[in-house]
Amino acid sequence: MTDLLTVDQLRVHFFTRSGVAPVVDGIDFTIGPRETLGLVGESGSGKTMASLAILRLVPPPARIVGGSLRFQDRDLLALDDAAMRGLRGKSIAMIFQNPAYSLNPILTIGDQLIEILRWHERISVAAARDRAAELLRLVGIADPAHRLRQFPHEMSGGMKQRICIARALLCEPALILADEPTTNLDVTIQAQILDLLEELRERLHMAMLLVSHDMGVVARMADRITVVYAGRTCERADSRTIFHAPLHPYTRALLDSVPRVDRDYEHEARPVLRTIGGRIPDLADPPSGCRFHPRCVEATEECARLRPELLQIAPGHFVSCLKRGSPGIPQG
Amino acid sequence: MGILRFLLRRLLFAVVLILGVSAIIFFLLNAIGNPIDVMMADNPGITDEALAAVKAYYHLDASVGYRYLIWLGNMAQLDFGTSISTNMPVGGMLLTWGAETLKLQIPAILLALLLSIGFATIAAMRQYSRTDFTVMSAALLGHSLPGFLLGVLLILIFAYWLGVFPSYGAYSTRNPLFGSTLADGLWHMVLPLTMLTVFNTATLTLLLRGNLVDVLRQDFIMAARASGLPERRVVFHHALRNAIIPVLTYLGILFGLMLATAPVTESVFTWPGAGALYLAAIQALDYPVIMGETMVVTVMLVGFTLLTDLAYVVIDPRIRLN
Amino acid sequence: MLIAFIVLVALIGPFLAPYAPNDQSAMIEFASRGGPTWAHPFGTDRNGYDVLTRVIYGAPTALAVGLGAMLVASLTGILIGGVAGYLGGIADEILMRLTDLFLVIPVFVMILAVVRLFGIVVVGTWLERVPFLNLATIVLLLGFFGWPPIARLSRAEFLRLKGLDFVEAARCIGAQPSDILLRHILPNAMPSLAVVIALGIGGAILAESMISFLGFGDPKAVSWGQLLFFNYQVLKVAPWAVLAPGTAIFITVLGFNLLADGLSDAFNPRLKQ
Repeated sequence: MTDLLTVDQLRVHFFTRSGVAPVVDGIDFTIGPRETLGLVGESGSGKTMASLAILRLVPPPARIVGGSLRFQDRDLLALDDAAMRGLRGKSIAMIFQNPAYSLNPILTIGDQLIEILRWHERISVAAARDRAAELLRLVGIADPAHRLRQFPHEMSGGMKQRICIARALLCEPALILADEPTTNLDVTIQAQILDLLEELRERLHMAMLLVSHDMGVVARMADRITVVYAGRTCERADSRTIFHAPLHPYTRALLDSVPRVDRDYEHEARPVLRTIGGRIPDLADPPSGCRFHPRCVEATEECARLRPELLQIAPGHFVSCLKRGSPGIPQG
Repeated sequence: MGILRFLLRRLLFAVVLILGVSAIIFFLLNAIGNPIDVMMADNPGITDEALAAVKAYYHLDASVGYRYLIWLGNMAQLDFGTSISTNMPVGGMLLTWGAETLKLQIPAILLALLLSIGFATIAAMRQYSRTDFTVMSAALLGHSLPGFLLGVLLILIFAYWLGVFPSYGAYSTRNPLFGSTLADGLWHMVLPLTMLTVFNTATLTLLLRGNLVDVLRQDFIMAARASGLPERRVVFHHALRNAIIPVLTYLGILFGLMLATAPVTESVFTWPGAGALYLAAIQALDYPVIMGETMVVTVMLVGFTLLTDLAYVVIDPRIRLN
Repeated sequence: MLIAFIVLVALIGPFLAPYAPNDQSAMIEFASRGGPTWAHPFGTDRNGYDVLTRVIYGAPTALAVGLGAMLVASLTGILIGGVAGYLGGIADEILMRLTDLFLVIPVFVMILAVVRLFGIVVVGTWLERVPFLNLATIVLLLGFFGWPPIARLSRAEFLRLKGLDFVEAARCIGAQPSDILLRHILPNAMPSLAVVIALGIGGAILAESMISFLGFGDPKAVSWGQLLFFNYQVLKVAPWAVLAPGTAIFITVLGFNLLADGLSDAFNPRLKQ
């Protein structure tokens, strides 16, 4: 089964008057036709940029400067604008972080959904309206006909996100990019939306890229996980491995910092919740060598000098850490 | 319905405003000096009969308050009185001369709107590029350039040195251009129209681009692009619509002040419009014209502001539920 | 920033005016309407005055007009708007309606009429001997009609600021309301107000020049608008007499607009992420 999407050593740089910031400097992952891949990292790790890069919608002054993107066996970087537009919304669709702002406030929901449908497919307004209503029903919205005539500000956050999901599904895409789909919602609504996504994934056989900083969300939904830090891949493996046998120090630290019900904190050496010391690096002036070394408990002198490359430890499990055996190349 | 009540309140308020301003205008102008005294001071040779006629017609024997009420009553019935200088009904004068002014002002505003949409869109789409910088600098210059200076420059260059356009008036007294009055009229309009359009375009461009840049930064724009929509549609159908809403207020003011800004333009180009009429009236102390025109200007401003409010309710769905 | 520099030039330039050695009323009659020469870098105007000197002397007039008008407008505006914003309730309603009322008055045309009438009425009275009466009237009127925008903004600012924590804190210590207003709220409102005031100064200068250009200015005062009015008839033969003061107005107004722009940028930095 060939992969649906292959992202290899993607690099996106941010060009400003004061210099170049390598926001994404080597992120890789693959997604199979019905898989869900979790892209995990702190804010500022470049994960949102990576997902925008797949659609080639990286906003200036940032630009894709290296790596390869293959989707359905086509080189995305080689496509012209028209071809790319044909893909967006149709074969690959995106759900954004903030449902409150992802919809045009002065147009009705119906207008916005119908516009997209009619742009990609030749159908009449009436047919488009029917399909939009059908999709609203699919995402669990009652009385779709009424909702289609409403404006975004007349709805709750949860409902808006459902509509955004419906918008992504309009043309039955093969791949959905979900960028922190639940981060800006109330906790109770979060669960509902995640339920919805799971259900839709089953029914519609879609692949999904789930970008999140929340390990809990990813644990639930993802088949495989890629962990990124400061624009670079740290570790790639299936979910189970990541959660039960993480190798990279950053992955371990991330997992440690999430409170877990099945852990007995009182009897550990230090009965406190672990945090990762230090801060996310300023990407305009990143640390040399391994980007995580200033905050890594296992770091040594060579970690500041050499940049670790991805090493395949086991089938399907990749790590980039000198302490785990990855080869390193000298880099400032 | 909430909307209807809102509109009625605004209408009522507008009427109150007009009344208030009318009071201020009337008392200010009449309190500075009794019209009789003023006219006598300015024109010592004025005859007693003329004075008596004016006195009687305008009830100048009565108190200021009484005069105000009479005047207000006349205004309400659209009776603007008779001009002291020309003895013609003021209402008619305002219409004829006003038409000439509007002939210039309305196209100027509309043209400015179109041009500014073009410029602002180009600039916003290429934010921070050299094009953006050029457009915005030009806009800032155009906005700061005093209108009449531009007018003078235009006359200097195009009328005196190059001799391409006429330097005054709205029509040629002899030999209309190409033998057609229409062409002749248009030919005369070019320079003053340019003068008016430049300033308006500059200001509108500054406003619009600012708004556009803000709107383009929003998530829903990125979402529209991610849905595959072409950039042109994203900018015009989604972004511009949002960006232009705040500009409506300014447009309303522009329309409202059409007659108010006329005196300067018409002075530079000797254009026979309401502005020139006003200047002449002030010189001649033609009270009915002065007060009548001031009232018209006020009503226009209030009226267009009201229209703008109405437009907001119609266009921006977020405002309706209030 | 570049803007600040330009502004500095615009502001300092006028202050050099008192240094001009020539007597501004020097009637160099023999060279009237002459073109630019070394003796008269900007040429001479209709009556033979040296244009450069008069333009320079027009600078302090312009500044006086701008600052004077805005002083009146600001004091009134901040007072009214501030009280409205701080007190709220009925006072707010009334004051805001008043503001709306004044906002709608057609300032420009009114000033023209008032100046003319005032000029006539004053003849023969003691007021006539007040120097630059006409100009002063114009300045006062500009201020008198120009306060609404400032009032609007200061009301918004006071409203916003009074809800902030530090005001609560001040009140808890038992500070007097007037104290709170003057020492806490006002300084914090100044940034936004400064922008509008800067624009207003430019606007006032422009307005005065337009009024004078139409002939309603003060014949005894040397203002750029007056110069324009004075020399407009000889535009065809002596364009420099009109272009010089006109350009001066342009540069000054531009300077203030840039100043306002610069202030606005300084206070609302748009984060270029």
